[in-house]
Amino acid sequence: MKRVITGRAWVFGDNINTDLMYPHICYTLPESERPKYTMWANRPGWPEIVSRGDILVAGKNFGLGSSRPAASNLLGVGISAVIAESLNGLFLRNAVNVGLPAVSFQAIRSMVAEGDLIEIDLAEGNFRNLSTGGNVAFRSLPEFLMDVIEAGGIIEILKRSGYLDTEAL
Amino acid sequence: MVANLLNMIEKILLAHSDADTKAVSPGDIVNVSVDRVIMLDIAGLHPELINNPPKEAFDPSKLAIIFDHFAPAPNIEMAIGTSKIRKLAHKLGVNDFYDYGRAGISHALAAEKGWLLPGRIIANTDSHSIAAGAYNMLSRGLGTPELLQVICTGRTWFIVGETVNIELNGSMQSPTESKDVFLKLAGEIGDLPNENIEFSGEGIGQMTMDQRSVVSTMCAELSVEFAIFPYDKVLKSYLKNRAETHFRPVRPDKHTDYSRYYSFNMRDIPPMVALPDSVSRNTKPVSELGNIPVDQCVIGSCANGRIEDLESAARILKGRKVHRDTRLIVTPATPEIYRNAERLGYIGEIIDAGGMVTNPTCGSCMGGHMGILADGETAITSTTRNFRGRMGSREAKIYMASSATVAASAIKGYVADPSEFLGGVFS
Repeated sequence: MKRVITGRAWVFGDNINTDLMYPHICYTLPESERPKYTMWANRPGWPEIVSRGDILVAGKNFGLGSSRPAASNLLGVGISAVIAESLNGLFLRNAVNVGLPAVSFQAIRSMVAEGDLIEIDLAEGNFRNLSTGGNVAFRSLPEFLMDVIEAGGIIEILKRSGYLDTEAL
Repeated sequence: MVANLLNMIEKILLAHSDADTKAVSPGDIVNVSVDRVIMLDIAGLHPELINNPPKEAFDPSKLAIIFDHFAPAPNIEMAIGTSKIRKLAHKLGVNDFYDYGRAGISHALAAEKGWLLPGRIIANTDSHSIAAGAYNMLSRGLGTPELLQVICTGRTWFIVGETVNIELNGSMQSPTESKDVFLKLAGEIGDLPNENIEFSGEGIGQMTMDQRSVVSTMCAELSVEFAIFPYDKVLKSYLKNRAETHFRPVRPDKHTDYSRYYSFNMRDIPPMVALPDSVSRNTKPVSELGNIPVDQCVIGSCANGRIEDLESAARILKGRKVHRDTRLIVTPATPEIYRNAERLGYIGEIIDAGGMVTNPTCGSCMGGHMGILADGETAITSTTRNFRGRMGSREAKIYMASSATVAASAIKGYVADPSEFLGGVFS
Protein backbone atom coordinates (compact mmCIF):
# COMPACT_ATOMS: atom_id res chain seq x y z
CA MET A 1 0.00 0.00 0.00
CA LYS A 2 1.16 3.49 -0.84
CA ARG A 3 1.24 6.05 1.94
CA VAL A 4 0.02 8.76 -0.46
CA ILE A 5 -3.29 7.84 -2.03
CA THR A 6 -4.87 9.86 -4.84
CA GLY A 7 -8.32 9.25 -6.28
CA ARG A 8 -11.71 10.59 -7.31
CA ALA A 9 -14.12 11.23 -4.44
CA TRP A 10 -17.51 9.60 -3.92
CA VAL A 11 -19.45 11.50 -1.28
CA PHE A 12 -21.90 9.84 1.13
CA GLY A 13 -23.86 11.31 4.04
CA ASP A 14 -24.03 10.55 7.76
CA ASN A 15 -24.65 7.16 9.41
CA ILE A 16 -23.81 4.90 6.46
CA ASN A 17 -24.12 1.54 8.21
CA THR A 18 -22.65 -1.91 7.57
CA ASP A 19 -25.96 -3.35 6.43
CA LEU A 20 -25.96 -0.84 3.55
CA MET A 21 -22.37 -1.73 2.62
CA TYR A 22 -22.84 -5.47 3.03
CA PRO A 23 -26.54 -6.43 2.71
CA HIS A 24 -27.51 -9.81 4.18
CA ILE A 25 -27.76 -11.27 0.67
CA CYS A 26 -23.94 -11.11 0.49
CA TYR A 27 -23.48 -13.69 3.23
CA THR A 28 -24.34 -16.62 1.04
CA LEU A 29 -23.01 -15.38 -2.33
CA PRO A 30 -19.64 -16.48 -3.75
CA GLU A 31 -16.95 -14.06 -2.55
CA SER A 32 -16.50 -12.43 -5.96
CA GLU A 33 -20.23 -11.60 -6.23
CA ARG A 34 -20.58 -9.88 -2.85
CA PRO A 35 -19.24 -6.38 -3.74
CA LYS A 36 -21.94 -5.96 -6.42
CA TYR A 37 -24.49 -5.38 -3.64
CA THR A 38 -22.54 -2.64 -1.84
CA MET A 39 -24.92 0.28 -1.05
CA TRP A 40 -27.72 -1.78 -2.61
CA ALA A 41 -30.47 -0.13 -0.55
CA ASN A 42 -29.25 3.48 -0.54
CA ARG A 43 -27.40 3.84 -3.87
CA PRO A 44 -28.24 0.96 -6.21
CA GLY A 45 -25.90 0.63 -9.19
CA TRP A 46 -23.03 2.39 -7.44
CA PRO A 47 -20.50 -0.50 -7.61
CA GLU A 48 -20.69 -0.44 -11.43
CA ILE A 49 -19.64 3.22 -11.70
CA VAL A 50 -16.76 3.14 -9.20
CA SER A 51 -13.26 3.10 -10.72
CA ARG A 52 -10.40 1.24 -9.06
CA GLY A 53 -8.56 3.65 -6.74
CA ASP A 54 -11.53 5.95 -6.00
CA ILE A 55 -11.84 7.30 -2.47
CA LEU A 56 -15.01 7.17 -0.37
CA VAL A 57 -15.81 10.35 1.58
CA ALA A 58 -18.55 10.26 4.22
CA GLY A 59 -20.12 12.16 7.06
CA LYS A 60 -20.54 11.26 10.70
CA ASN A 61 -20.50 7.79 12.21
CA PHE A 62 -19.51 5.88 9.10
CA GLY A 63 -19.71 2.13 9.57
CA LEU A 64 -22.14 1.79 12.46
CA GLY A 65 -23.41 -1.76 12.73
CA SER A 66 -22.27 -5.32 12.65
CA SER A 67 -18.96 -7.14 12.33
CA ARG A 68 -19.86 -8.29 8.81
CA PRO A 69 -16.98 -7.69 6.35
CA ALA A 70 -18.27 -4.35 5.05
CA ALA A 71 -14.75 -3.05 4.42
CA SER A 72 -14.03 -6.07 2.20
CA ASN A 73 -16.95 -5.08 -0.03
CA LEU A 74 -15.53 -1.55 -0.36
CA LEU A 75 -12.16 -3.00 -1.35
CA GLY A 76 -13.98 -5.29 -3.75
CA VAL A 77 -15.63 -2.42 -5.63
CA GLY A 78 -12.24 -0.70 -5.93
CA ILE A 79 -12.24 1.84 -3.09
CA SER A 80 -8.65 2.65 -2.00
CA ALA A 81 -9.37 4.64 1.17
CA VAL A 82 -12.21 5.92 3.36
CA ILE A 83 -12.25 9.43 4.82
CA ALA A 84 -15.16 10.27 7.12
CA GLU A 85 -16.07 12.92 9.68
CA SER A 86 -16.14 10.09 12.22
CA LEU A 87 -15.76 6.31 12.00
CA ASN A 88 -17.37 3.52 13.99
CA GLY A 89 -14.69 1.61 15.92
CA LEU A 90 -15.66 -1.82 14.64
CA PHE A 91 -15.61 -0.60 11.04
CA LEU A 92 -12.14 0.86 11.62
CA ARG A 93 -10.91 -2.48 12.97
CA ASN A 94 -12.36 -4.38 10.02
CA ALA A 95 -10.93 -1.88 7.52
CA VAL A 96 -7.43 -1.99 8.99
CA ASN A 97 -7.52 -5.77 9.28
CA VAL A 98 -8.25 -6.23 5.57
CA GLY A 99 -5.74 -3.55 4.55
CA LEU A 100 -8.13 -0.66 3.76
CA PRO A 101 -6.93 2.73 5.07
CA ALA A 102 -9.71 4.57 6.94
CA VAL A 103 -9.22 7.92 8.63
CA SER A 104 -11.47 10.56 10.13
CA PHE A 105 -11.43 14.30 10.59
CA GLN A 106 -14.17 16.86 11.05
CA ALA A 107 -13.52 19.12 8.05
CA ILE A 108 -13.67 16.51 5.31
CA ARG A 109 -17.28 16.92 4.17
CA SER A 110 -17.03 20.68 3.75
CA MET A 111 -13.87 20.32 1.64
CA VAL A 112 -14.98 17.82 -0.99
CA ALA A 113 -17.61 17.62 -3.73
CA GLU A 114 -18.29 14.39 -5.54
CA GLY A 115 -15.89 13.85 -8.42
CA ASP A 116 -13.09 16.00 -6.97
CA LEU A 117 -9.61 14.60 -7.27
CA ILE A 118 -8.33 14.25 -3.70
CA GLU A 119 -5.20 13.01 -2.01
CA ILE A 120 -4.32 11.79 1.48
CA ASP A 121 -0.83 11.42 2.79
CA LEU A 122 -1.12 8.84 5.55
CA ALA A 123 2.48 9.25 6.67
CA GLU A 124 2.30 13.03 7.06
CA GLY A 125 -1.37 13.25 8.04
CA ASN A 126 -2.16 15.67 5.25
CA PHE A 127 -5.26 15.94 3.07
CA ARG A 128 -5.34 17.84 -0.23
CA ASN A 129 -8.19 18.53 -2.62
CA LEU A 130 -6.34 18.69 -5.95
CA SER A 131 -9.45 20.03 -7.71
CA THR A 132 -9.98 23.01 -5.41
CA GLY A 133 -6.52 23.48 -3.91
CA GLY A 134 -7.80 23.10 -0.33
CA ASN A 135 -5.68 21.27 2.19
CA VAL A 136 -5.74 20.37 5.87
CA ALA A 137 -3.66 18.43 8.36
CA PHE A 138 -5.29 15.55 10.27
CA ARG A 139 -4.32 13.00 12.89
CA SER A 140 -3.33 9.96 10.87
CA LEU A 141 -3.53 6.35 11.97
CA PRO A 142 -1.16 5.16 14.69
CA GLU A 143 1.93 3.38 13.34
CA PHE A 144 0.68 0.14 14.91
CA LEU A 145 -2.35 0.16 12.59
CA MET A 146 -0.41 1.44 9.57
CA ASP A 147 1.81 -1.62 9.87
CA VAL A 148 -1.24 -3.92 9.62
CA ILE A 149 -2.52 -2.05 6.55
CA GLU A 150 0.89 -2.12 4.88
CA ALA A 151 1.18 -5.85 5.47
CA GLY A 152 -2.09 -6.28 3.55
CA GLY A 153 -4.18 -7.11 6.59
CA ILE A 154 -4.08 -9.27 9.68
CA ILE A 155 -4.42 -12.58 7.81
CA GLU A 156 -1.18 -11.89 5.93
CA ILE A 157 0.60 -11.17 9.22
CA LEU A 158 -0.72 -14.37 10.80
CA LYS A 159 0.29 -16.40 7.75
CA ARG A 160 3.82 -15.01 7.81
CA SER A 161 4.06 -15.74 11.52
CA GLY A 162 3.17 -19.37 10.88
CA TYR A 163 -0.07 -19.34 12.86
CA LEU A 164 -2.36 -20.49 10.04
CA ASP A 165 -2.71 -23.71 8.07
CA THR A 166 -2.24 -23.46 4.33
CA GLU A 167 -4.72 -26.28 3.84
CA ALA A 168 -8.36 -25.23 3.76
CA LEU A 169 -10.94 -26.79 6.07
CA MET B 1 -7.88 15.18 33.61
CA VAL B 2 -6.17 14.46 36.92
CA ALA B 3 -3.35 11.94 36.58
CA ASN B 4 -3.81 8.36 37.73
CA LEU B 5 -7.54 8.59 38.39
CA LEU B 6 -9.06 5.74 36.44
CA ASN B 7 -12.57 4.80 35.44
CA MET B 8 -13.81 1.18 35.27
CA ILE B 9 -12.99 0.67 31.60
CA GLU B 10 -9.44 2.01 31.97
CA LYS B 11 -8.84 -0.24 34.98
CA ILE B 12 -9.84 -3.37 33.09
CA LEU B 13 -7.74 -2.41 30.06
CA LEU B 14 -4.70 -1.73 32.24
CA ALA B 15 -5.14 -4.98 34.17
CA HIS B 16 -4.98 -6.87 30.85
CA SER B 17 -2.27 -4.74 29.23
CA ASP B 18 1.20 -6.01 28.39
CA ALA B 19 2.69 -2.55 28.90
CA ASP B 20 4.33 -1.57 32.15
CA THR B 21 2.18 1.47 32.74
CA LYS B 22 -0.32 2.67 35.32
CA ALA B 23 -2.06 5.22 33.14
CA VAL B 24 -3.84 5.43 29.79
CA SER B 25 -5.09 8.40 27.81
CA PRO B 26 -7.69 8.73 25.05
CA GLY B 27 -6.11 7.81 21.72
CA ASP B 28 -3.68 5.28 23.21
CA ILE B 29 -3.67 1.77 21.82
CA VAL B 30 -3.54 -0.89 24.51
CA ASN B 31 -2.42 -4.44 23.71
CA VAL B 32 -4.34 -6.79 25.96
CA SER B 33 -4.76 -10.44 26.81
CA VAL B 34 -8.30 -11.81 26.69
CA ASP B 35 -9.92 -14.19 29.17
CA ARG B 36 -12.15 -16.03 26.73
CA VAL B 37 -12.80 -16.18 22.97
CA ILE B 38 -16.14 -16.94 21.32
CA MET B 39 -16.45 -17.99 17.66
CA LEU B 40 -19.82 -18.13 15.92
CA ASP B 41 -21.36 -20.20 13.10
CA ILE B 42 -21.18 -17.17 10.83
CA ALA B 43 -17.38 -17.54 10.72
CA GLY B 44 -18.06 -20.49 8.41
CA LEU B 45 -19.03 -18.00 5.70
CA HIS B 46 -15.66 -16.22 5.91
CA PRO B 47 -13.14 -17.45 3.31
CA GLU B 48 -10.29 -16.11 5.52
CA LEU B 49 -11.10 -18.75 8.12
CA ILE B 50 -12.04 -21.58 5.79
CA ASN B 51 -8.94 -21.19 3.59
CA ASN B 52 -6.45 -20.56 6.39
CA PRO B 53 -7.69 -22.02 9.68
CA PRO B 54 -5.63 -21.58 12.86
CA LYS B 55 -3.11 -24.36 13.44
CA GLU B 56 -3.94 -24.35 17.14
CA ALA B 57 -5.72 -22.29 19.79
CA PHE B 58 -3.64 -20.40 22.36
CA ASP B 59 -5.71 -22.18 25.02
CA PRO B 60 -8.54 -24.48 23.84
CA SER B 61 -10.16 -24.33 27.30
CA LYS B 62 -10.75 -20.60 26.76
CA LEU B 63 -12.28 -20.98 23.32
CA ALA B 64 -16.02 -21.51 22.83
CA ILE B 65 -17.83 -22.11 19.55
CA ILE B 66 -21.53 -21.25 19.42
CA PHE B 67 -23.93 -21.70 16.49
CA ASP B 68 -26.42 -18.87 16.86
CA HIS B 69 -26.83 -16.63 13.83
CA PHE B 70 -28.27 -19.03 11.26
CA ALA B 71 -29.40 -21.87 13.52
CA PRO B 72 -30.27 -24.40 12.27
CA ALA B 73 -28.66 -23.94 8.84
CA PRO B 74 -31.31 -22.43 6.54
CA ASN B 75 -29.37 -22.94 3.30
CA ILE B 76 -26.63 -25.05 1.74
CA GLU B 77 -23.95 -22.36 2.16
CA MET B 78 -24.47 -22.26 5.93
CA ALA B 79 -24.70 -26.04 6.12
CA ILE B 80 -21.29 -26.32 4.44
CA GLY B 81 -19.82 -23.53 6.58
CA THR B 82 -20.96 -25.08 9.84
CA SER B 83 -19.78 -28.54 8.80
CA LYS B 84 -16.30 -27.04 8.39
CA ILE B 85 -16.44 -25.34 11.78
CA ARG B 86 -17.40 -28.64 13.40
CA LYS B 87 -14.19 -30.06 11.92
CA LEU B 88 -12.25 -27.08 13.26
CA ALA B 89 -13.77 -27.50 16.75
CA HIS B 90 -12.55 -31.08 16.77
CA LYS B 91 -9.11 -30.16 15.42
CA LEU B 92 -8.58 -27.37 17.98
CA GLY B 93 -9.83 -29.54 20.85
CA VAL B 94 -12.68 -27.24 21.83
CA ASN B 95 -14.85 -28.58 24.63
CA ASP B 96 -17.19 -25.61 24.84
CA PHE B 97 -18.83 -26.35 21.51
CA TYR B 98 -22.54 -25.49 21.30
CA ASP B 99 -24.27 -26.97 18.28
CA TYR B 100 -27.99 -26.72 17.47
CA GLY B 101 -30.11 -27.71 20.46
CA ARG B 102 -27.53 -26.66 23.07
CA ALA B 103 -26.76 -23.29 21.50
CA GLY B 104 -28.37 -19.95 22.19
CA ILE B 105 -27.47 -16.41 21.20
CA SER B 106 -23.87 -16.05 22.37
CA HIS B 107 -24.30 -13.07 24.69
CA ALA B 108 -27.24 -14.58 26.57
CA LEU B 109 -25.69 -18.07 26.61
CA ALA B 110 -22.38 -16.70 27.92
CA ALA B 111 -24.19 -15.16 30.90
CA GLU B 112 -26.00 -18.41 31.68
CA LYS B 113 -22.74 -20.36 31.51
CA GLY B 114 -21.11 -18.03 34.04
CA TRP B 115 -18.52 -16.76 31.55
CA LEU B 116 -19.41 -13.09 32.06
CA LEU B 117 -17.38 -12.12 35.12
CA PRO B 118 -16.52 -8.73 36.59
CA GLY B 119 -13.15 -7.36 35.51
CA ARG B 120 -12.76 -9.73 32.54
CA ILE B 121 -12.41 -9.26 28.77
CA ILE B 122 -14.13 -11.51 26.23
CA ALA B 123 -13.36 -11.50 22.49
CA ASN B 124 -16.37 -12.23 20.29
CA THR B 125 -17.04 -11.19 16.71
CA ASP B 126 -20.67 -10.24 17.16
CA SER B 127 -21.21 -6.48 17.25
CA HIS B 128 -23.51 -6.78 20.27
CA SER B 129 -20.74 -8.30 22.40
CA ILE B 130 -20.85 -5.03 24.32
CA ALA B 131 -23.80 -6.75 26.08
CA ALA B 132 -21.26 -8.18 28.53
CA GLY B 133 -20.80 -4.68 29.98
CA ALA B 134 -23.83 -5.32 32.20
CA TYR B 135 -21.56 -7.75 34.09
CA ASN B 136 -18.94 -5.11 35.00
CA MET B 137 -16.62 -6.37 32.29
CA LEU B 138 -15.51 -5.50 28.76
CA SER B 139 -16.37 -6.88 25.37
CA ARG B 140 -16.99 -5.34 21.97
CA GLY B 141 -17.49 -6.56 18.42
CA LEU B 142 -14.43 -7.74 16.50
CA GLY B 143 -14.03 -8.82 12.89
CA THR B 144 -13.66 -12.47 11.95
CA PRO B 145 -10.11 -12.00 10.52
CA GLU B 146 -8.89 -10.53 13.80
CA LEU B 147 -10.66 -13.26 15.74
CA LEU B 148 -8.17 -15.64 14.15
CA GLN B 149 -5.42 -13.56 15.72
CA VAL B 150 -7.07 -13.82 19.13
CA ILE B 151 -7.56 -17.58 18.77
CA CYS B 152 -3.89 -18.02 17.86
CA THR B 153 -2.33 -15.58 20.32
CA GLY B 154 -4.87 -14.85 23.09
CA ARG B 155 -4.27 -11.17 22.50
CA THR B 156 -5.83 -8.17 20.79
CA TRP B 157 -5.77 -4.35 20.94
CA PHE B 158 -8.18 -1.61 21.86
CA ILE B 159 -8.07 2.13 21.35
CA VAL B 160 -8.72 4.04 24.58
CA GLY B 161 -11.69 6.38 24.16
CA GLU B 162 -13.11 9.33 26.06
CA THR B 163 -15.73 8.14 28.53
CA VAL B 164 -19.12 9.68 29.23
CA ASN B 165 -21.13 9.03 32.38
CA ILE B 166 -24.84 8.22 32.22
CA GLU B 167 -26.69 8.37 35.52
CA LEU B 168 -29.87 6.29 35.75
CA ASN B 169 -32.15 7.33 38.59
CA GLY B 170 -35.64 6.36 39.72
CA SER B 171 -37.42 3.16 38.73
CA MET B 172 -39.35 2.23 35.62
CA GLN B 173 -43.11 2.46 35.86
CA SER B 174 -45.26 -0.22 34.17
CA PRO B 175 -45.52 -0.75 31.23
CA THR B 176 -42.12 0.84 30.55
CA GLU B 177 -39.31 -1.65 29.95
CA SER B 178 -35.55 -1.19 29.80
CA LYS B 179 -35.72 -1.08 25.98
CA ASP B 180 -37.74 2.11 26.41
CA VAL B 181 -35.06 3.51 28.71
CA PHE B 182 -32.44 2.82 26.06
CA LEU B 183 -34.56 4.33 23.26
CA LYS B 184 -35.08 7.45 25.35
CA LEU B 185 -31.36 7.96 25.90
CA ALA B 186 -30.52 7.06 22.28
CA GLY B 187 -32.98 9.71 21.18
CA GLU B 188 -31.45 12.39 23.38
CA ILE B 189 -27.74 11.56 23.39
CA GLY B 190 -27.23 10.37 19.82
CA ASP B 191 -24.12 8.64 18.49
CA LEU B 192 -20.88 8.49 20.47
CA PRO B 193 -18.38 6.96 18.02
CA ASN B 194 -15.03 6.05 19.60
CA GLU B 195 -16.30 6.94 23.09
CA ASN B 196 -17.23 4.77 26.08
CA ILE B 197 -20.18 4.81 28.45
CA GLU B 198 -20.07 4.15 32.19
CA PHE B 199 -23.44 3.86 33.91
CA SER B 200 -24.04 5.02 37.45
CA GLY B 201 -26.97 6.09 39.62
CA GLU B 202 -29.28 4.73 42.28
CA GLY B 203 -31.75 3.45 39.67
CA ILE B 204 -29.38 0.65 38.63
CA GLY B 205 -29.86 -1.16 41.94
CA GLN B 206 -33.48 -1.75 40.99
CA MET B 207 -32.67 -3.15 37.55
CA THR B 208 -32.44 -6.91 37.01
CA MET B 209 -29.51 -8.38 35.06
CA ASP B 210 -31.84 -8.86 32.08
CA GLN B 211 -32.83 -5.18 32.19
CA ARG B 212 -29.21 -4.03 32.41
CA SER B 213 -28.27 -6.39 29.58
CA VAL B 214 -30.89 -4.87 27.28
CA VAL B 215 -29.32 -1.44 27.82
CA SER B 216 -25.70 -2.60 27.49
CA THR B 217 -26.47 -4.67 24.37
CA MET B 218 -28.22 -1.76 22.68
CA CYS B 219 -25.29 0.59 23.37
CA ALA B 220 -23.75 -0.91 20.21
CA GLU B 221 -26.31 1.23 18.38
CA LEU B 222 -24.73 4.39 19.80
CA SER B 223 -21.49 3.44 18.01
CA VAL B 224 -19.52 3.31 21.28
CA GLU B 225 -16.43 1.23 22.02
CA PHE B 226 -17.42 -0.07 25.46
CA ALA B 227 -20.31 0.35 27.88
CA ILE B 228 -20.13 -0.88 31.46
CA PHE B 229 -22.33 -1.13 34.56
CA PRO B 230 -21.02 -1.09 38.14
CA TYR B 231 -20.68 -4.17 40.33
CA ASP B 232 -23.40 -4.44 42.99
CA LYS B 233 -25.56 -6.81 45.03
CA VAL B 234 -27.80 -7.73 42.07
CA LEU B 235 -24.81 -8.84 39.98
CA LYS B 236 -23.19 -10.55 42.94
CA SER B 237 -26.30 -12.60 43.58
CA TYR B 238 -26.67 -13.48 39.87
CA LEU B 239 -23.13 -14.88 39.85
CA LYS B 240 -23.51 -16.84 43.07
CA ASN B 241 -23.69 -20.59 42.35
CA ARG B 242 -23.39 -19.89 38.63
CA ALA B 243 -19.82 -18.80 38.17
CA GLU B 244 -16.35 -19.14 39.59
CA THR B 245 -15.63 -16.76 42.43
CA HIS B 246 -12.10 -15.42 41.98
CA PHE B 247 -13.03 -12.46 39.80
CA ARG B 248 -12.10 -8.88 40.57
CA PRO B 249 -14.87 -6.28 40.21
CA VAL B 250 -13.86 -2.76 39.22
CA ARG B 251 -15.09 0.55 40.56
CA PRO B 252 -14.23 4.00 39.21
CA ASP B 253 -11.75 5.96 41.32
CA LYS B 254 -13.41 8.64 43.40
CA HIS B 255 -13.38 12.03 41.64
CA THR B 256 -12.69 10.44 38.24
CA ASP B 257 -13.58 12.90 35.51
CA TYR B 258 -15.82 11.94 32.62
CA SER B 259 -15.86 13.83 29.33
CA ARG B 260 -19.61 14.51 29.66
CA TYR B 261 -22.42 13.73 32.07
CA TYR B 262 -26.01 12.75 31.33
CA SER B 263 -28.80 11.99 33.76
CA PHE B 264 -32.16 10.26 33.25
CA ASN B 265 -35.01 9.59 35.65
CA MET B 266 -36.43 6.24 34.53
CA ARG B 267 -39.70 7.06 36.30
CA ASP B 268 -40.50 9.65 33.61
CA ILE B 269 -39.83 7.46 30.56
CA PRO B 270 -42.94 6.21 28.70
CA PRO B 271 -43.05 3.38 26.12
CA MET B 272 -40.81 4.53 23.24
CA VAL B 273 -40.34 3.58 19.60
CA ALA B 274 -37.49 4.03 17.12
CA LEU B 275 -38.62 5.07 13.64
CA PRO B 276 -37.33 3.16 10.59
CA ASP B 277 -33.71 3.11 9.35
CA SER B 278 -31.75 4.30 12.40
CA VAL B 279 -31.94 4.32 16.18
CA SER B 280 -30.04 7.28 17.59
CA ARG B 281 -31.85 10.63 17.50
CA ASN B 282 -34.75 8.86 15.84
CA THR B 283 -37.06 7.87 18.72
CA LYS B 284 -40.32 9.16 20.21
CA PRO B 285 -43.02 8.07 22.67
CA VAL B 286 -45.32 5.39 21.19
CA SER B 287 -48.28 7.59 22.14
CA GLU B 288 -47.09 10.26 19.68
CA LEU B 289 -46.61 7.94 16.72
CA GLY B 290 -50.04 7.91 15.09
CA ASN B 291 -51.55 4.94 13.28
CA ILE B 292 -48.90 2.62 11.75
CA PRO B 293 -50.31 -0.75 10.61
CA VAL B 294 -47.80 -3.61 10.92
CA ASP B 295 -47.42 -6.76 8.81
CA GLN B 296 -45.01 -8.53 11.15
CA CYS B 297 -44.26 -8.32 14.88
CA VAL B 298 -41.00 -9.79 16.22
CA ILE B 299 -39.84 -10.44 19.79
CA GLY B 300 -36.33 -11.78 20.17
CA SER B 301 -32.56 -11.20 19.75
CA CYS B 302 -29.64 -10.97 22.16
CA ALA B 303 -31.24 -7.84 23.59
CA ASN B 304 -34.86 -8.89 23.95
CA GLY B 305 -35.22 -12.66 23.61
CA ARG B 306 -34.95 -12.94 27.40
CA ILE B 307 -37.30 -14.57 29.91
CA GLU B 308 -38.62 -11.16 30.95
CA ASP B 309 -39.53 -10.42 27.33
CA LEU B 310 -41.45 -13.68 26.96
CA GLU B 311 -43.16 -13.03 30.28
CA SER B 312 -44.13 -9.55 29.18
CA ALA B 313 -45.47 -10.83 25.85
CA ALA B 314 -47.41 -13.66 27.49
CA ARG B 315 -48.97 -11.30 30.04
CA ILE B 316 -50.36 -9.13 27.25
CA LEU B 317 -51.30 -11.97 24.89
CA LYS B 318 -52.98 -14.23 27.46
CA GLY B 319 -56.64 -14.69 26.51
CA ARG B 320 -56.28 -12.44 23.45
CA LYS B 321 -55.58 -13.06 19.76
CA VAL B 322 -52.99 -11.78 17.34
CA HIS B 323 -54.80 -9.49 14.86
CA ARG B 324 -55.77 -11.26 11.61
CA ASP B 325 -53.84 -8.73 9.49
CA THR B 326 -50.48 -9.28 11.18
CA ARG B 327 -48.25 -12.09 12.45
CA LEU B 328 -46.17 -12.54 15.59
CA ILE B 329 -42.82 -14.34 15.73
CA VAL B 330 -41.19 -14.92 19.12
CA THR B 331 -37.60 -16.18 19.30
CA PRO B 332 -36.22 -17.08 22.76
CA ALA B 333 -32.50 -16.31 23.03
CA THR B 334 -31.39 -19.60 24.61
CA PRO B 335 -32.65 -23.15 25.30
CA GLU B 336 -32.73 -22.32 29.05
CA ILE B 337 -34.98 -19.32 28.40
CA TYR B 338 -37.17 -21.45 26.10
CA ARG B 339 -37.43 -24.22 28.72
CA ASN B 340 -38.24 -21.81 31.54
CA ALA B 341 -40.84 -20.00 29.42
CA GLU B 342 -42.44 -23.35 28.64
CA ARG B 343 -42.46 -24.34 32.33
CA LEU B 344 -44.00 -20.99 33.31
CA GLY B 345 -46.72 -21.31 30.67
CA TYR B 346 -45.57 -18.38 28.51
CA ILE B 347 -44.96 -20.47 25.39
CA GLY B 348 -48.50 -21.90 25.56
CA GLU B 349 -50.03 -18.48 26.01
CA ILE B 350 -48.16 -17.08 23.01
CA ILE B 351 -49.18 -20.04 20.85
CA ASP B 352 -52.81 -19.88 22.01
CA ALA B 353 -52.88 -16.24 20.95
CA GLY B 354 -51.72 -17.20 17.46
CA GLY B 355 -48.05 -16.32 17.80
CA MET B 356 -45.24 -18.50 16.45
CA VAL B 357 -42.41 -19.50 18.79
CA THR B 358 -39.15 -20.38 17.01
CA ASN B 359 -36.00 -22.12 18.19
CA PRO B 360 -33.25 -19.99 19.78
CA THR B 361 -31.30 -18.09 17.10
CA CYS B 362 -30.48 -14.54 15.99
CA GLY B 363 -33.05 -15.36 13.29
CA SER B 364 -34.92 -12.52 11.65
CA CYS B 365 -33.05 -9.80 13.57
CA MET B 366 -30.30 -9.85 10.97
CA GLY B 367 -32.47 -10.91 8.06
CA GLY B 368 -30.97 -14.38 8.04
CA HIS B 369 -34.09 -16.51 8.33
CA MET B 370 -37.20 -17.05 10.50
CA GLY B 371 -39.25 -14.14 9.18
CA ILE B 372 -37.88 -12.12 6.26
CA LEU B 373 -39.79 -8.98 5.25
CA ALA B 374 -41.16 -8.46 1.73
CA ASP B 375 -41.20 -5.25 -0.34
CA GLY B 376 -43.56 -2.68 1.12
CA GLU B 377 -44.03 -4.46 4.45
CA THR B 378 -43.81 -2.82 7.86
CA ALA B 379 -42.54 -4.53 11.00
CA ILE B 380 -42.44 -3.68 14.68
CA THR B 381 -39.63 -5.49 16.46
CA SER B 382 -37.96 -5.69 19.86
CA THR B 383 -34.72 -6.90 18.24
CA THR B 384 -31.55 -4.81 17.96
CA ARG B 385 -31.51 -2.94 14.64
CA ASN B 386 -33.91 -1.17 12.31
CA PHE B 387 -31.50 -0.37 9.47
CA ARG B 388 -32.92 -0.23 5.96
CA GLY B 389 -32.90 -3.72 4.46
CA ARG B 390 -31.90 -5.28 7.78
CA MET B 391 -34.71 -7.85 8.01
CA GLY B 392 -35.09 -8.57 4.31
CA SER B 393 -36.39 -6.20 1.63
CA ARG B 394 -34.78 -2.78 1.30
CA GLU B 395 -38.34 -1.57 0.64
CA ALA B 396 -39.52 -2.68 4.11
CA LYS B 397 -39.89 -0.42 7.15
CA ILE B 398 -38.75 -1.47 10.63
CA TYR B 399 -39.99 0.16 13.83
CA MET B 400 -38.24 -0.85 17.05
CA ALA B 401 -39.71 -0.95 20.57
CA SER B 402 -40.00 -2.99 23.77
CA SER B 403 -41.39 -6.53 23.77
CA ALA B 404 -44.52 -5.23 25.55
CA THR B 405 -45.12 -2.71 22.76
CA VAL B 406 -44.56 -5.41 20.11
CA ALA B 407 -47.04 -7.75 21.83
CA ALA B 408 -49.62 -4.96 22.12
CA SER B 409 -49.07 -4.13 18.45
CA ALA B 410 -49.59 -7.78 17.48
CA ILE B 411 -53.05 -7.69 19.05
CA LYS B 412 -54.05 -4.35 17.57
CA GLY B 413 -52.48 -4.78 14.13
CA TYR B 414 -50.79 -1.40 14.40
CA VAL B 415 -48.03 0.04 16.58
CA ALA B 416 -49.77 0.21 19.96
CA ASP B 417 -48.95 1.48 23.43
CA PRO B 418 -49.01 -1.46 25.91
CA SER B 419 -50.64 0.85 28.48
CA GLU B 420 -53.97 -0.11 26.89
CA PHE B 421 -53.49 -3.69 28.13
CA LEU B 422 -51.42 -3.16 31.25
CA GLY B 423 -52.62 0.22 32.48
CA GLY B 424 -49.98 2.37 34.07
CA VAL B 425 -49.08 5.96 34.69
CA PHE B 426 -48.66 6.90 31.04
CA SER B 427 -52.15 5.83 29.88
